Parts: sequence; structure tokens; C-alpha cells
Amino acid sequence: MTVVDDILAEKDFEKIRKETETNYREYLNPFALRMFKNAGLDVIEGRREGACVWDISGEKYIDCVTGAGIFNAGRHNREITDALKKALDVYDMGGWISIIRERGLLAKKLAQITPGNLKYSIFCCGGGEAVEVAIKLARGHTGKTEIICMENGYHGVTGFALPATGREVYKKPFAPLTPGYIHVPFNDLDAVKSAITKDTAAVLLEPVQGEGGIRPADDSYLAGLRKLCTENEILLIFDEVQTGFGRTGKMFCAEHSGVTPDIMVLAKSMSGGLYPISCAVFTEEISDFLYSHPFIIINSFGGTSLACLTALATIEYIEKNNLPERAVQMGKRFMEGLLALKKNFPELVVDVRGKGLMLGIEFPEDSIGPRMACLLKKNGVISIYTFNNPKIIRIMPSLVITEEEVDFVIDAFDKSLKEIRAQEAGRNMKGAGK
Amino acid sequence: MTASAEDIKKQALADFSKYVNPQKARVLKNAGLDIIEGKREGACVWDITGKKYIDCITSAGSFNVGRRNPEIVAVLKKALDEYDLGVFLLCSKQKADLAKKLAGITPGDLQYVMFGVGGGEANDFAIKLARGFTMKTEIISTLKAYHGHTGFSLAAIGRDAYKKPFYPMVPGFKLVPFNDLKAAEETMTGDTAAIILEPVQGEGGIHPATDAYLQGLRKLCDEREILMIFDEIQTGFGRTGKMFACEHSGVVPDIMTVAKSLGGNLYPISATIYREELNDFLVAHPFIHLSTFGGSDLGCIVGMAVIDYLVKNKVPEHAAAMGERFQKGFDVLLKKYPDLLLEVRRKGLMMGLQYTNESIGPRMSYQLAQNGVMAIYTGNEPSVMRLMPVLVIQPDEVDFVIDALEKSMAAIMKQGGIEKY
Amino acid sequence: MATSDEIMEALADFKEQCNGNKRLRRMQRDWTKVLHYAAVDTGDKFTMTVREGEILSNEKGAAGTPDVIIEGESETLCNMFWGDINPTQMYLKGEIKVKGTQEDIMRIDAITAIIWPEV
Ligand SMILES: Cc1ncc(COP(=O)(O)O)c(C=O)c1O
Ligand SMILES: Cc1ncc(COP(=O)(O)O)c(C=O)c1O
Repeated sequence: MTVVDDILAEKDFEKIRKETETNYREYLNPFALRMFKNAGLDVIEGRREGACVWDISGEKYIDCVTGAGIFNAGRHNREITDALKKALDVYDMGGWISIIRERGLLAKKLAQITPGNLKYSIFCCGGGEAVEVAIKLARGHTGKTEIICMENGYHGVTGFALPATGREVYKKPFAPLTPGYIHVPFNDLDAVKSAITKDTAAVLLEPVQGEGGIRPADDSYLAGLRKLCTENEILLIFDEVQTGFGRTGKMFCAEHSGVTPDIMVLAKSMSGGLYPISCAVFTEEISDFLYSHPFIIINSFGGTSLACLTALATIEYIEKNNLPERAVQMGKRFMEGLLALKKNFPELVVDVRGKGLMLGIEFPEDSIGPRMACLLKKNGVISIYTFNNPKIIRIMPSLVITEEEVDFVIDAFDKSLKEIRAQEAGRNMKGAGK
Repeated sequence: MTASAEDIKKQALADFSKYVNPQKARVLKNAGLDIIEGKREGACVWDITGKKYIDCITSAGSFNVGRRNPEIVAVLKKALDEYDLGVFLLCSKQKADLAKKLAGITPGDLQYVMFGVGGGEANDFAIKLARGFTMKTEIISTLKAYHGHTGFSLAAIGRDAYKKPFYPMVPGFKLVPFNDLKAAEETMTGDTAAIILEPVQGEGGIHPATDAYLQGLRKLCDEREILMIFDEIQTGFGRTGKMFACEHSGVVPDIMTVAKSLGGNLYPISATIYREELNDFLVAHPFIHLSTFGGSDLGCIVGMAVIDYLVKNKVPEHAAAMGERFQKGFDVLLKKYPDLLLEVRRKGLMMGLQYTNESIGPRMSYQLAQNGVMAIYTGNEPSVMRLMPVLVIQPDEVDFVIDALEKSMAAIMKQGGIEKY
Repeated sequence: MATSDEIMEALADFKEQCNGNKRLRRMQRDWTKVLHYAAVDTGDKFTMTVREGEILSNEKGAAGTPDVIIEGESETLCNMFWGDINPTQMYLKGEIKVKGTQEDIMRIDAITAIIWPEV
């Protein structure tokens, strides 16, 4: 009996739930558990498939969280799973300083599918770690120190990424942080212009802010940034951790505007939601820094043989099934539904926006986000508000979502909004009665 | 479809140079380490052209259970029939199970767990937790230490070359000499949040901390309400002959970080384990530290399988015994090549050979590769060659490595250039 | 065997190659070192001064405190500066000896990799 057999053998779901909750309380994070419950996120995932996930008790949900975009190729994608299983017949991680064939192959593939002259890759495990690499390359290559980043941006929680994250709550208890980060308002070219100094190494941003509340950058803004950066010998870094691999309707979000960054950061959906891998892809010019410092950025788990093979299988799947185009189609269908909701619930839906299947729905106040998430769960949809802005519910389903499933989600929103409307009406009545 | 192994190798080297890191490929080639790993099993790895090596690099202690351990592979494959990464925002049974297991096998009252993917990330969280919990800012770390390349860990590294091109670093870090209690004491102030160290410095050149040093630090930390962080990323999971290196001294830290071998050489996962009291910080800030891939369902299952394997097969004890066998061989080499091999430092199967100068590390790598052993010098101390084979290495394989060392040293002696400088 | 003047000539060419390479200069801008070269067969010594990636001077004799000392046959040194051989391979075979940090040795290798990529 292996651990998996043990885990799978247990069929008493109440027991599993109790045990899991106890373990969370005793060994992980007692308060988070409470928060999960309050936010309608106390699902313990059992079966996963396509756009759906089943709670261990068998309850089915459409997953609109997808770990903020890990599962573009669908939950537990069978083809990619099979590829990883096959890889396990031959490979393990591979040595950290070894020359790994699969790593070379993946880097080559990335050079081919990323826009413009992006060519070299450094692999890591998590998105934040790859952002760190991007910032370090920018400092190392330019010899300058300042990083201009965006208010409400999210880039991860480790030491060089954390200061770039544009929200104080993540940072304050850990001060002093790495110096040299300057935050400016998003989509405001003049703000960047006036923040630039002789010591500016890079401008870092998400082409669509994810945690910041699903805010797409304007094409003209990105084009302006590109020009500004080139003129001032500043590197432009796109964090495509959430937007990459088809999410916004193109393989990479940068393609919408035609702007090529000097460094692009990728993670999340890169390996089909099956294996941790991330990377920074950058131009040949920047790779010169690796000549003088070939071993300066090392990590044990970045770009293992298994990770690279899984990523290659994932990219193949995305290309073969033309998932970016699917994101366009399904995104359109979603948007129509969301616009109808906006029309029908003008007092509750302030805005709907997004690109492809990276969508957000904005409510008039913070409390409605979590309340909606709870109601949506009741109506068969797992969703979550964006971290930097709880007014906004994020809709980021798998790109393999079907038309019926899109309609199901819209319907769930409709039901949930009706309930909120009823609750609000009830409250107003009470208020009026006083 | 029938490209020869040689062609595949050539293409792989070319791709690596063209798309990953040209200079790294060159340096490895020059050191005779331009190996493209094919088959892997137990203590061994085969280049795709068929040459067999005993792996004494093992990503600095990531492969304790052996290369491509069939039992762990079977567990992961089975898990893949059911699971994907899972969603980091949701409750996960697998995560809960592994947390409980880690609390069970770590010493003393270490209890709560934050998962990550890489080791650096685990250390970053440990340092953040120390600052957040104590509301103090200074972090003391040790010269030559290695803790990872993410920002907080990087600031704690005791070697400038890793940091300088990326200045400025996170402020508030102070470096002290390792194994020097007085230096640590003198550096502590009212604003010191924590001291972070490896119970055996790995990249720094395999330097074990003395028991007295660790015990002294524990006492100082208790007196001054300073947290003690042990980075057991290289030393953990049986490497030093105990499940965790800190057990040798009996000192229990407030925070311990683990990674590398927890993933069984198959799946990235790391963890920061800390005392109950510290969890108050996370009660106040439950979502302040997030990691998309950290503690994934698949990673946790692998972690469980690794721990079960280590316990069931008494792997730490085996490591202790194989370490003794290595030592016998080293004793002979020390006598035979005193002008080349100055000292051997060792705890279990965490072994460092101190050569006379920095050039010998790479030259020995080259020679050893010719003799069927993959080994490399430590990152922060190139005059030291690290030998960290898998813990399930067999006696005849130990003897093979000793024999390869003997042959390689003989070759270097013939070349000369071994004087100290 | 190479004479002291022949080595100086090779060094002058090496200097020109390095300093004229913008990419290399940028790459090596954090590298400030004094290097000594010693021809073991002839006993000739040379000093190279590098500041922020630029080779400032090559002189006969050993001057100042070196960060790196490179020793080899005069012919080998000469070939090395002309780019006819891969210095790192020579080094691993024990034909040239380098005393210095591993990091500096890799930097020297990086320089040669940039100016003579095919060697
Ligand atoms: C845009 C963006 N960048 C970086 C990250 C950090 O990635 P990870 O959690 O893998 O470190 C995230 C995670 O949500 C993200 O959305
Ligand atoms: C002692 C120690 N701490 C931390 C790390 C960093 O771990 P990772 O490479 O997984 O980030 C390492 C890696 O070599 C290590 O040896």
C-alpha cells in the first residue's frame, strides 16, 4: 500500500473533510480555513476534468478560479497527464547543473512562440521566482537599479518580487524591503515618463493586471512604453504569468498590441497545471550577462526534465487545439452574457471587462465580492475576488470550457445577483421601517 | 526518428547554448561534465551515449531516495490518474496530510507548515515570518552561507559575488563568521529578529556547525527573544545520518526550512515548518504569503511517499554506515596525497574534500568524469569538492568512488599545480 | 618557445580585441583586476591591468599585487593570446596553471568565449 492507495481508499467523505479541517487547524493555517468557509471556498477537490471540479463529496462545480490561470488546458488534462506519466518511465528531475536536453528543447520552443526577438530562457519553479530573475537580469544587464512598477500590480511574494507588488498589505510587516522600486498608476504613460531617472533599469507590468482587478493595458500605452524604454535604454518587462498561454485570446497577451518586451515572465499554465515550472524569456543582448556570470542564478528545481517535457506537451496541446482562438470565442459569449447582467442589474454591476477568457465583473462595494463568491458556489461555480481588489470577481475558467458551461456560469451569476438584490431589498425595507 | 545518441547529444548541447546559457554549457564542457542524462537508477546516471557515472552531485542533496526511485515513481504515476496541481487557494487534503506528517517527523515542537516550491522561497518565508512575528528587522546570517536566490535568501547569502550585480539588496542583514558564537553574540541587538544558518554549511564548503555553537546560539536566542532558523534544505531527510541534521546537537530551531529531497527527485516542493506560537502572525495575515505551485496536491503526495520511504527503509541509518565506509577510503587518500588533499569534512553522506587551491576542484571534476564519477566543487568555495551521492548508495559503489578519487588524484599529482595559495 | 617580444605582440592584439568589443566591455564592466602571466620555460613575466573590463596596459615584468597568476610555456601563452587554443581546456589538462579565484578564471574563459567563439 502506498500513500496514494491509502488516500484513495478512504471513501467516507465526512471523515475526510473533518480530518482535513483538523489538519488545517493544527498544522497549516487555522484562520485561513475560516476565511475559506466565509468566502465559499471550502471545497476539497476530488475529481477534476475539463472546466469542472468535483468536491470529494461528489458536488460538481465549474472552476472559474483555476488558481488564477493555471489550468488553461483544462483540469487534469489527460493528454498532458499521459505525457508526464510516460516521461516518468524514463526521467527524474535531472541534475541542477547538468545540461538538460529537454530544457534546451523547451527553451527553443519558447523562443519560437514568444513574440519578436525573445530568445533565451532561465527556468524557475514559481512565477514570483521568475519575476525575481527578470528584475535581476535588468539590474545586472543595465548596471542601473531602479524598477518602475505599477500600483495594484501583483508579482509574487519573494524578496525581489514583493516590492514590485503594488499593495502595502503584502509588504508592510516585512519592511525594510529591497530598495529601488517606484510605483506609478497603471495605464498612465506620463506617470512613467516622470518617474524615469538616469538610474532606471526597467519598467515592469502585467499587460492585463490580474490581482489588481482585471485591468487591460491600452495598446497605445504599451506602444508608448516601448518607445520610452528604447529611447532611455530601459528594459521593458511583461509579467505574463496570468495572461500567457492563450488566456487572453492570443498565445501571449503582448501580441494584441504588437509590443515586444525585452523580458517576458511566464508560469502558471505553462505546464498544464501538472508540474511547477516558470521562466524568464529574454533577448540575446541581455544574455551577455550570463557570459560573465554563468552560475549566478541557480536553483534546484527550476526547469527539471519532467517539467520541461510537461511544458512541451502543454504547448503542443494548446497549439493543436487552438486554445487562444477558443478563448476568443468563449470570451465573446461570456462578455455578451455579462453585458446583459450589467444591463439587468445596474445597481449591482458597475463594470464588466477583460480580454479573452480573463474576465472581471465589478461590484459597487468590497463586501459584494465575497458574498457573490458564496452564492456562486451554491449555484455550482467556484470563483474568487481579486486579491488587490475584493470589489471584483475574477472569471478565469479553463480555456476548454464549452458553450453550455459558459451559459451555466452566466446563469449562476444571474441567480446569485438576484439573491443579492433580494437581500439588499430586505435590508432597505428594514432600514426604512426604523 | 533514428538519430544517433551522438547526434542527439550534439543537438542538445547546441540548443542549450543557443537558448539557455552558452557560457554555462562551455564551462561544463570544459570540466568534462557535458553529460546529457539518459537512464537514471539508484546511485547512477548514464549519459545518453551510454557512459555510466556515479552521481555525487545529486543537485546538492535533492536525490536522497535515489535517482528515479521506482516506488516514488509508482506513487506519482498513480496520483496522476486522479490529481492535478490543485488550486492553491482551496483546502487540500494532500496538503493537510503532508503538513501533519512533517510536524510528526521534525524535532521538538515544530508544528505549522507553509508550503512553497523551491528552497529559496521557503527561506524567504522564514525570514518574512521572523520579521512579521517579532516586529524586529535585523537578520543575522553566516559568511559563506547559501540560502537561495530569491530576494530575502539572497540577502542572507554569505558571498558577495552572488549579490553584487543585483544591488541594492534587502536591508537589515548582517553577516558573521560561522561557528563563532562570540561574533554572533556581539552582532545581536535589540532589533535582531532572527539568525539563519545551515547546521552543515553546504555551498560554503561542507562545514558542520559544532554542537556547542548551536547550543550556545539557542541559549542566546532564548535570552534575547531572537528566532533561530535552520536551513535544512541540503542537510534534511537523512543526509547527515539523522533525519534532520539538528538532531545531532539536540537543538530545536524555531523555524526550519526543507526542500530538495522532499520532492524525491521527481516533483518540486518545499516547506517552512515553525513553532505554534509563530502562527499567530498568520492568523492575523492568513493570505499574506501565496505560492501558486507551493504544496500542490501532486507535490504533497510525493513528499509523503518520500518520508514513508526514508522511514521504512531506515535510510538515515544507511547513510551513516555508508559515510563511515567512505571515511575509511578518505583516511587512506589523506595519507597518500597530503599535498593535494588537506582535509575531509563529513557528516553522514554530506562530504567535502578540501584541496589545496581553487584550481583543483574543477580539475578533479574533469578527472573524475573520466573515471566514471560526477562531482563538482561547492559554489562558495571552489577549493572544496562536494561528494553527496544518493543515500541509497551501495557498498561497492562507495568503493568505486574511492577508487576513482585515487586515480584522479594520481593524475593531478602528475600534472602539478597543486601548491597552496 | 616564444620570446618576450612575441608575447607582448600577442598581448597587444588581445588588448585590441578586448577593448574594441563593446559587448565584452559591457559584460565585464564589474571586473577590475591585475593579472600576472609567467612563462615557465623562459622565466619572462608580464602584468596586465584591467579596469572595469578595459585592459589598461600590458607590461613586461611582474608589477603590483596580482589577483590572478597564469603560468604556462611561453608558446602556450602566446597561442592563447592569439586565440589559437582554448585556455580552459589547457588549464584542465594542467598545461597552464591559474592561481586565483574560480570566478576570475571563469571570467577569463568568458572573455575568450566572446572573442573567439569557435575555439
Ligand atoms: C501576474 C502574476 N505574477 C506573478 C505571480 C506569482 O506567481 P507564483 O505564485 O507562482 O509565485 C502571480 C500569481 O498569482 C501573478 O498573477
Ligand atoms: C542550504 C540551501 N538553502 C537553500 C537552497 C536553495 O534552494 P532552491 O535551489 O530550491 O531555491 C539551497 C540550494 O542549493 C541550499 O543548499
